[in-house]
Amino acid sequence: MLFALRVAFRYLTANRVQSGLLIGGVALSVIVFVFMTALIRGLALFLTVQTTGQIAHVEMEPPRRIAEVMGPDARFAAQPISTFQRQQIRNWQLMVDQAEQLDHVVAVVPEVNGNGFLVRGTAVAPIALQGIDPSQIDAIIPLSKSIIDGSADLSTGGLLIGAELAEDLGLRAGVPVILRSDRGIERLIPVTGIFRIGLSNVDRRVAYLSIAVARPLLALPNGVTSVSIKLDDPALAPLIAEQLKRQLPLKVTAWQEKNRNLETALESQGRTGNFIQAFALIAIMISIASALLLTSVRRRGEIGIMRSFGISRGFVASVFVFQGVIIGLAGSLIGSALGYRLCLFLSEGITGPDGGPLLPIAPAEGGYVLVIVLTVVGSAISAILPAQAAARLDPVEAIQQ
Amino acid sequence: MTLLKAEGITKSFRTGDIDTLVLKGVNLVLEPGEMVALSGPSGSGKSTLLNILGLLMQPSDGALSFMDKPMSGLTDKQLSAIRNTHYGFVFQFHHLLPDFTAMENVAFPAAAPAGGISAEIRDRAKMLLGRVDLTDRIDFAAMRLSGGQKQRVAIARALMNKPELVLADEPTGSLDRENSARVMALLREINHEDRTSFLISTHDPEIAKCCDRQINVVDGRIA
Repeated sequence: MLFALRVAFRYLTANRVQSGLLIGGVALSVIVFVFMTALIRGLALFLTVQTTGQIAHVEMEPPRRIAEVMGPDARFAAQPISTFQRQQIRNWQLMVDQAEQLDHVVAVVPEVNGNGFLVRGTAVAPIALQGIDPSQIDAIIPLSKSIIDGSADLSTGGLLIGAELAEDLGLRAGVPVILRSDRGIERLIPVTGIFRIGLSNVDRRVAYLSIAVARPLLALPNGVTSVSIKLDDPALAPLIAEQLKRQLPLKVTAWQEKNRNLETALESQGRTGNFIQAFALIAIMISIASALLLTSVRRRGEIGIMRSFGISRGFVASVFVFQGVIIGLAGSLIGSALGYRLCLFLSEGITGPDGGPLLPIAPAEGGYVLVIVLTVVGSAISAILPAQAAARLDPVEAIQQ
Repeated sequence: MTLLKAEGITKSFRTGDIDTLVLKGVNLVLEPGEMVALSGPSGSGKSTLLNILGLLMQPSDGALSFMDKPMSGLTDKQLSAIRNTHYGFVFQFHHLLPDFTAMENVAFPAAAPAGGISAEIRDRAKMLLGRVDLTDRIDFAAMRLSGGQKQRVAIARALMNKPELVLADEPTGSLDRENSARVMALLREINHEDRTSFLISTHDPEIAKCCDRQINVVDGRIA
């Protein structure tokens, strides 16, 4: 076998231009493979980071309880009516302590949430109120970094609102506004800061305020409505959620459950990438098979003479398979190295208008081991056809030609 | 022991609907150490007979035995092994592997089954190249050798595995008179010294005269 490898290597080095072109072709396809893999994985990573950077990774809420408002005898009612009871986590401090014990948990934020309206003159805008501890202002969303007017300091008893909401109501930092909660409680509160995080539903709908200010407004003196958890690795959210579900009598949801569309989009994108990768691999296999078939035709005489002095069909076939493997290995190594350099250049060398990378490419995620293994195996498989053709040559015919 | 025995060998080739009978019941015996010329005009069937005797082609009918063992019914692998260990081949055109050196070409028949060129194989290849007077061309690429040198390398390659029988098909056909004489002298020397048998297909009467005996093939039969 070693001698077959040596013969294969000699055949390839004997025709350096053809071998060089062939290896170059394989390397080019590998570059496409690496680039697409790094781009698709980079894009997935970018979208995931963008999404998970601005949401809680795990959310704990009270279990749902349906309260019977009407009596069991429905004959006197037009419709049997149900509604959700006011739900809260009463012993939340215990839950927070337990959640904080878990690995990968970086922040646990108890929240008092509700709905309300901001009223300014005749203008009224619906809002989602989020009451949080002022010291945990950046624990879930990096709000401080997103402030475009005023400050993110909620300890003064003010309100943080999104830029779109501020535009709708003509508000700016320092201006007081009437906040009316869904419990019918009204209070005049100054706008402490205005943020823009880039998510329209947050920038237009959400208002943050201190948990101490939110409690009386939402008539929740003790409990909290939810507990948000941030992890060091968002991918672990389902695992942590499962752990918490086992430990606590709460409804625990990982961010992936609430963002099914993102997951579906990433899966579709991944499938598209798989197709492109498969086509790149097929291109590699076809180019190797066709080149080796040509080689087997060109070397008919030599193969015939080898067969005449008793060299086995297996040896002849293995020479061609080894040629395929050498081409595949060299092409995939060169292509991987060049692909990595290209991805690195695109990710660090070219920046967009915002100063960030022009493409959300992840050079480390180019699937290098996968492409090398697939290319080498694919090259060996694509060499089988020419190898069989060479091994089946009739020595007499081959020598006469 | 008889080295090679052919009985009633026939060979026909089909082209479309037409069968062409090339060999019409050839009987032939070759003893160890013999140097025999297989002569006859072009198209008489010499090369076809040589291919069948060299186990490169199956006869349509008849029996062939080598070293008293029947050769019919053997697999391609078994036939290849016999060719590799007991046969040597020299063709009209040297058919060297152009991308290998003279030494590698000579060593090839032994190196391929062994998995590499061992020191022992290398030494024998060098010795054989010395014997055909090419010591100074050992590491020359085959394509850089002259026609006569290439044919001598081909002879050295045929002797690599110490064969009992060397089949030579017009071994001097592509050489000038001087090189032809040199090659024939070399074959004769090897035949005398090693007792290697030779069956040389030729249509040159001068070459045939150099052999122990001559077998004439005329129209597919031994005349």
